[in-house]
Amino acid sequence: MILVGLVVTLLGFVIAILSLSLHSVGMQLVVVLLGLAVSLFGIMGILNKHYLKTAIWKKG
Amino acid sequence: MTTRLSLLVLLLALCPIPQIFAQTPAAAPAAAAPAPKPVPITDADVAGAPVPTADARSKGDPDGSLTGTAGDVSATDPKKGVTIGDLVNQVGQNKIAINFVWTLVTGFLVMFMQAGFALVETGLCRAKNANHTMMMNFMVYGVGMLAYWLFGFAIQMGGVGAVANLGGTPPLSAEHAITLFGKPFGLFGTNGLFLVHHGTYDVAVMVLFLFQMVFMDTALTIVTGAAAERWKYAAFIISSFLMGAFTYPLFANWAWGGGWLANLGANFNLGKGYCDFAGSGVVHAVGGITALALSMMLGPRIGKYTREGKPNAILAHDIVIVLTGCFILAFGWFGFNPGSTLGASGNGGLRIGSIAVNTMLAGMAGSFSAMLYMWLRYGKPDASMSGNGLLAGLVAITAPSGFVNPVASVIIGLIAGVLVCLSVEFVDRVLKVDDPVGAISVHGTNGLWGVLSIGFFADGKSNYGGSWNGVTGSVTGIFYGDNGGQLVAQLIGIVTLVGFVFTLSFVFNLIVDWIVGQRVSAKTELEGLDIPEMGVLGYPEFELKSQT
Repeated sequence: MILVGLVVTLLGFVIAILSLSLHSVGMQLVVVLLGLAVSLFGIMGILNKHYLKTAIWKKG
Repeated sequence: MTTRLSLLVLLLALCPIPQIFAQTPAAAPAAAAPAPKPVPITDADVAGAPVPTADARSKGDPDGSLTGTAGDVSATDPKKGVTIGDLVNQVGQNKIAINFVWTLVTGFLVMFMQAGFALVETGLCRAKNANHTMMMNFMVYGVGMLAYWLFGFAIQMGGVGAVANLGGTPPLSAEHAITLFGKPFGLFGTNGLFLVHHGTYDVAVMVLFLFQMVFMDTALTIVTGAAAERWKYAAFIISSFLMGAFTYPLFANWAWGGGWLANLGANFNLGKGYCDFAGSGVVHAVGGITALALSMMLGPRIGKYTREGKPNAILAHDIVIVLTGCFILAFGWFGFNPGSTLGASGNGGLRIGSIAVNTMLAGMAGSFSAMLYMWLRYGKPDASMSGNGLLAGLVAITAPSGFVNPVASVIIGLIAGVLVCLSVEFVDRVLKVDDPVGAISVHGTNGLWGVLSIGFFADGKSNYGGSWNGVTGSVTGIFYGDNGGQLVAQLIGIVTLVGFVFTLSFVFNLIVDWIVGQRVSAKTELEGLDIPEMGVLGYPEFELKSQT
């Protein structure tokens, strides 16, 4: 799950780089924001959830 | 009563205040006289400039009028005496000397911020971990510097090219780049290893190294706060070395060393490229995001959360040193932001005045809004969050400080103060990531906010030699007429921080975890890290309470 989280986080960065192939600033803005959302999902939605499953306070 | 009133009126009439504030009427313009013809200066004029006699100098110079005269200008050929060429060279050297001194002194101020961080972080932790937290903050200076001297500086600045304010740094001329979308993407520099490689044993390179080194160390010391009270000392050493050698320099190259982010304007027509005047992104967000990666991996301290996942407050052991540390940091920030001009003479160097004022205004606004937020929400003006509000305002203004006006600085600071409170609550309650000092929110969240704010608030009035990142004109945000290209460049920088820097930091720290393990044992944590990890208590004569 850690690997998946890291890949998704990095994917957001790749999406932002790909926005540079577009010519409209408006479209670039949308694609970069999409990249940001994907990266944040990788961190908060996948990696952090994985670590919370085995959090020290759940072990009692 | 009447007598007193009469006296008051008389005093007011005689008072000079109205004259001080009154504007002197402009004198009538004199009849236009023909402009005097310029008289060319000759070598003879220069050689004939009056020099105080030895006899006059031997009597002392109480008013300073005899010290620093034509006699102090060196002649290249003593037979000819001082020539115009000598004079012009002296002017040039004076300009660069001013910039060297400015950059070095501001660098010394930034170095002192390490003491501020040490006090803030140690004060916010428990007394049983004081030695360990202080030692991390102390040794991060040496570990980071070693890594940066060996590899980091070359990666970051090895291809930056000529830095005009420092008289040019031609040895730093090798940037490794790939081609993407038909444009060069600078990835890392290669000159400057050990500060001798490829002619980098150079006075200007040394000044640049010192200034950039203390910035790098600031980023590293952010992480120690978030990971405090449970981080193995050995893991801290290796992790900090990797960050100082690779993670920080790589992003810093992309933003400041002539890398691809800086060139988004020149290559893709996105404003002036990614702009980060003094490092909200390069320094603070890199530190804050690495802190997030590491804190997630380490997990929360024992006792931070109940079995139901509700956060417990683990109180600071010394709020006095916390706020003292905040003051030291605010003082050091006058080196951080105004120093980033790398000079006080030429190429917009006089903007140091407005940059310094922007810095202090944003810090004030941040502490004020954080204090008000906490007061309204929890009924008391929380001291540690007021301190964090000050730091949040300073972090947020770091990137835009050179491009915005005072009103924008206050707005940026006000938002930062509230943002840090909201972010601390989010990290604590929603993410359930334990950050004992609030470093992720202060430096990560507000570092990103600072980077973003340029896309809105840059007023197009700054002028650092006519261009920025190789694009003619001034940095301008959408509130001042930009088409949004600058905002997109800033957002690409933000995604690079969140997507790339996070991943790289995470992978490096996973490797450290596999090698030495990141977290101390539960027994060590409960006992306090001072004895098991450092061998000595921070406060050996104190009786420490047994809590968690």
